[in-house]
Amino acid sequence: MTEAQTLPKMVGERVRRREDPRLIQGRGTYVDDIKVAGMLHLAFKRSDMAHGRILSIDTSAAEAMEGVDLVLTGAQLAETLGPMPILTPFPAPAHHSMATDTVRYSGEPVAVVVATDRYIARDAADAIVVEYEPLPAVVDPDRALAGDPAVLFPDFTNILGQTGTNVALYVPAGTGVDPVAGTMDNTAIERAFDEAEIVISQRMWNQRLAPSAMEPRGVIAHWEPGKETLTVWSSTQNPHMERNYLCGQFGLGQDQVRVIAPEVGGGFGAKINIYGEDYVACAVSRRIGQAVKWIEDRSEAFVATTHGRDIVADLEIAAKRDGTVLGLRTRLIADIGAYEMLFTALIPTLTNGMLSGVYNIPAIRSELYEVFTNKTPTDAYRGAGRPEGIYFVERGMDMLARELGMDPAELRRKNFIQPEQFPFLTQAGNLYDSGNYEPTLDLALKNAGWEALKRERDAARAAGRIVGLGIAFYVEICGIGGWEHASVLVQPDGRVTATTGASSHGQGHETTFAQLLAGQFGVPIEHITIHHGDTQIVRAGTGTFGSRSQVAGGTALMNAGEKVKDRMAEFAAFMLGAEAETQADELEFIDGRIQVAGSPAISRSFAEVAAFAYLGGGNAAAAGIPYPDASSGLSEEAFWEPAGATFPFGCHISMVEIDRDTGELKLLKLVAVDDCGTIVNPLIVEGQVHGGLAQGIGQALMEGVVYDEDGQLITGSFMDYAMPRASDFPRFELDNTVTRSPHTPLGTKGIGEAGTIGSTPCLVNAAVDALSPFGVKHLDMPLRPEMLWRMIQGGAS
Amino acid sequence: MEISGDHRFKAPPDMVWEALLDPVSLKAAMPGCEAMTATGEDAYDITIKVGIAAISGTYSGTVKVADRVEGESYRLVVSGSGKPGSVQGSAAMVLSADGDGTHVRYTGDVRAQGAIARLGTRLIAGAAKLMIGQFFKGMESEVERRTR
Repeated sequence: MTEAQTLPKMVGERVRRREDPRLIQGRGTYVDDIKVAGMLHLAFKRSDMAHGRILSIDTSAAEAMEGVDLVLTGAQLAETLGPMPILTPFPAPAHHSMATDTVRYSGEPVAVVVATDRYIARDAADAIVVEYEPLPAVVDPDRALAGDPAVLFPDFTNILGQTGTNVALYVPAGTGVDPVAGTMDNTAIERAFDEAEIVISQRMWNQRLAPSAMEPRGVIAHWEPGKETLTVWSSTQNPHMERNYLCGQFGLGQDQVRVIAPEVGGGFGAKINIYGEDYVACAVSRRIGQAVKWIEDRSEAFVATTHGRDIVADLEIAAKRDGTVLGLRTRLIADIGAYEMLFTALIPTLTNGMLSGVYNIPAIRSELYEVFTNKTPTDAYRGAGRPEGIYFVERGMDMLARELGMDPAELRRKNFIQPEQFPFLTQAGNLYDSGNYEPTLDLALKNAGWEALKRERDAARAAGRIVGLGIAFYVEICGIGGWEHASVLVQPDGRVTATTGASSHGQGHETTFAQLLAGQFGVPIEHITIHHGDTQIVRAGTGTFGSRSQVAGGTALMNAGEKVKDRMAEFAAFMLGAEAETQADELEFIDGRIQVAGSPAISRSFAEVAAFAYLGGGNAAAAGIPYPDASSGLSEEAFWEPAGATFPFGCHISMVEIDRDTGELKLLKLVAVDDCGTIVNPLIVEGQVHGGLAQGIGQALMEGVVYDEDGQLITGSFMDYAMPRASDFPRFELDNTVTRSPHTPLGTKGIGEAGTIGSTPCLVNAAVDALSPFGVKHLDMPLRPEMLWRMIQGGAS
Repeated sequence: MEISGDHRFKAPPDMVWEALLDPVSLKAAMPGCEAMTATGEDAYDITIKVGIAAISGTYSGTVKVADRVEGESYRLVVSGSGKPGSVQGSAAMVLSADGDGTHVRYTGDVRAQGAIARLGTRLIAGAAKLMIGQFFKGMESEVERRTR
């Protein structure tokens, strides 16, 4: 797997992002920049209550306002529009775009106003009066599990056949669990704990986060009654998926609906969903035959866009005193909020699958409960289920090392899955494609200067400072989500137009994908245009999520490119035929020319060949030009699906210092060695790691969605929901190892989510290390100064 | 959210009591009170305008006086809703003689829903304190008016 491979030209080059000049100069076109003639504006009346029965909705004042076209309540809309479809295969309660009779979270839409401008729409929404009969709010997941103090969906029957419970889903996983037969054999896991010489047990919480993309959500829906077509501009990660769901919901053909994702200012998983507002906008536009626009404001985004994470784990690790891990057992409670969105129920099941981490753990058992609470629904957020799992495992491993007095790096090394064991089926159920963990660990230890850092920490401690070191080793799942589509067309002037179904929302597809084609065709990257995010231009697609774009989309694109390249070679061979006995497969594409290998003099320019190909047989014959029998043109497409998921991995090391007087934590050093397989563009990979680290460090140190006991969100603005800033970070020290995936021709694996996964346990491990002299064994995120200060004052539990 | 505090009047308890429970004085002293109409014994519909940052808006709701122990204590129960959401509060008011004057202590809690909770949680305690301060100041002039 590590043997040298000749990679296409330009793979591995630090090409600057071609999209950045327009994006950083404010010249991008986002949904809110788009205006359709006669367009009306929507505003939603949202529930102030976390849980309540709607007694009445008085829309008369809103309707009487000048400029208000239409007011629709949830119940009125439900007369013609069914509950929203979801993608998970488990039973789920009906979820309407707007509440019909009961509200279940603060911020749930209850009515929509259509008006001539956004301000009137907002004023009119404010003028709607809703009367509720309050119901007790379910806020605590433990109590939710017991149906206390209320049940959100009394009539819902879950996968276990239970009714009258808040348990949305129960999924056991691991050794001895047969999901098909529905049986559970406890022999192996019980033996692991019986034979254990040491058992670590800890409850830990991976807290709820607000994804907070820089651009909030937005949608324009334009139904044209004359053509019977629906055009939708949406800030989405997956326009084709959105098109398909809208078609299903409105009974329209997929040829009647066009979804366009213009510039999308970040998604982080929260824009995979097709939300109630999207369906409402389309329903309203169909009703009035005019375009309507809805733009989420920041305050709405905190309640109306899905949250991420929020899983509590009761973790146990059984081990021998030499550090050999024998078994891992956990009970997970995922607080999924009030409803199931597109992938909601699926995300925590990914946590189940990650519980082996990078370790050869012979027995694993996890029991996952997903519970409804009166909060905003959760769904994917950067890492989506994997950061939670790795956080639990890596915190547990660290606790074990501390109990055993072992170096945490060496405990990890001792339990690594060995390179010759791949492909490796973990007891948690995932089939890891490839891995070679020790070199990555060694490089991270070397780059960080691990032994020197330990001495530095001890010296700082002796001097009275509170300093700690943390290490974490992650693995994650990428390339999931099935097939991706690409098309490549060489234009008559030799420029290349390509499409990808992977819809970029910050990942830099216009650069990396163009790099792949520029390398293939030997043409300047400036001659290549990558189109994405429009279902009319991009013939098919799945979307961008789960770090899948390069794996699935990149490969599809190269396959389409290869087919066009073959065609170009045939034409070039024919053109060169007089000068040389040329076979198509002996030609090379280099510096804008197609030439006989090793003989640049015998060549034609790429553009000449393209123009020749477009002459066509008839025109050529008329002009007396001999022409080859290759009439199928320079346009090709490809679908491609990896044979399995890819499992990139990496090691993060951090050093932190905590201020004794204020409890403030300063991140002194962060070293990351990531292995995402073959790297197409190191600059973009670094950018992805930087962004991931920023979000992971944000989660570790400050971010956290907080609800009060009545189910009111009290972190509803950036004044209360703390986001990290550049000044919170040290200079990240990054490096890579390369372990290729056997599933992709280039050996790529995926990098988008890695940074969020390694950094959270790495930082918490460092903070616990720093506070270990105070008797601290575990800290829950976020590591707020107040909590750390209390620990220093002797508040350790 | 718990709130508590106290206020000293220069007038004797019976006079302060009378002012605190007189609808006319109540209306005059309540900051931003635009309308107040009796709906029953010790119960009123009110409209209050608040101009404090994220909780700005016009709120309509009710005021009730409960658990009345003549001259000594009562409970003030307020609820209102407006554009930024809704608020409920209740406070136990206890009067005692303090030399020539009166010592009024209050303890209570405030709950909020909607945007007020989302944006204004950190403001509510401060806003409540500010408004209670304004209320007692208003009451002082009401009491003073009676002594003239």
